[in-house]
Amino acid sequence: MKILNCPLNGPRNIAEFSYGGELHRMPDPSKCESREWVEHVFFNENKAGIVTEWWYHNASSYWFLAERNTVTDEIIRTFPASDVFKERVDFSKETGEAQE
Amino acid sequence: MTTTTPTHHLRRSQLYRWHVNALARFEEAAGSAVVTEYAGADNEVNQATRLALVDLSTLPRVGFKGPGAPDWLDQQGAQLPDSPNQAVRQQDDSLIARLSDYELLILADLNLNSTLPAILQDRWSLASANKTYSVPRSDSHCWFALTGADAAMALSKVCGVDLRTHKFADQTIAQTSLARVNAIILRNDLAKTPCFFLLSDVSSAQYLWHAILDAMVEFHGRSVGIAALRALEAKPQ
Repeated sequence: MKILNCPLNGPRNIAEFSYGGELHRMPDPSKCESREWVEHVFFNENKAGIVTEWWYHNASSYWFLAERNTVTDEIIRTFPASDVFKERVDFSKETGEAQE
Repeated sequence: MTTTTPTHHLRRSQLYRWHVNALARFEEAAGSAVVTEYAGADNEVNQATRLALVDLSTLPRVGFKGPGAPDWLDQQGAQLPDSPNQAVRQQDDSLIARLSDYELLILADLNLNSTLPAILQDRWSLASANKTYSVPRSDSHCWFALTGADAAMALSKVCGVDLRTHKFADQTIAQTSLARVNAIILRNDLAKTPCFFLLSDVSSAQYLWHAILDAMVEFHGRSVGIAALRALEAKPQ
């Protein structure tokens, strides 16, 4: 049985989690080219090595981030999304800056 | 106690037909019916000290989430747990469970003396409670209680988290998979008798009730009414 350490709930069977895809840097939707937005939404880098990914704990509806080695399938660490996202993204404003 | 039948009320447990078939006696509880006891059953209090399952789905409960929720509840006089996955008994005997930093669940007490769930529900509005959002748990979740010395052992058949009493403290919460459905497990001992509140999606209520009863067969567990839980809470064994 594979164990994933949820930052909120602690170590749990990986069957309790859903994979949420790679963490992408989000371009400013009001300023970026369509191609750039499409790549952000639909394309993954699919890198061989250590990547940062979204994971979701189903029972507590909790999204968090995990660093995982895609070659060895080893989970390096897990951490709350609030470590990366300090502020709420406001889509009504033109920030002019790319979001993580 | 006022006896009643589930069909006298608009609000019913998802399991009320099962209870009726099992010869349950009902009493009125917060505009609905809850099983007091089952006719013909032997001493339900003794059963509840060993292993018993109770349907509390019609008892009041309410939830709030959002970055402003802890502050808003604090302003209403609620006492909040310091960290997620902990619960705290309130002055009016209701229970506040902290499911994450910004999500809280408020459960009524078994005697329905607590006023906090109704007060919070009345006071809350999207305009007045800054960044606090209502989570109507009464409609989304069923609520069972599994009591008795063998409760943790029975749960170990359907849950991967170690819920034995020396590992899983009173007033602690595990949000996990229970018989393969998502559930909130909250240990809330009744005096000296271990008791686990189990809350899961209403759409799984029928399945989960029978899955847990099936896990209890090995330990000679069965369903009892809320009167047995009240007796355990009032008279330490």
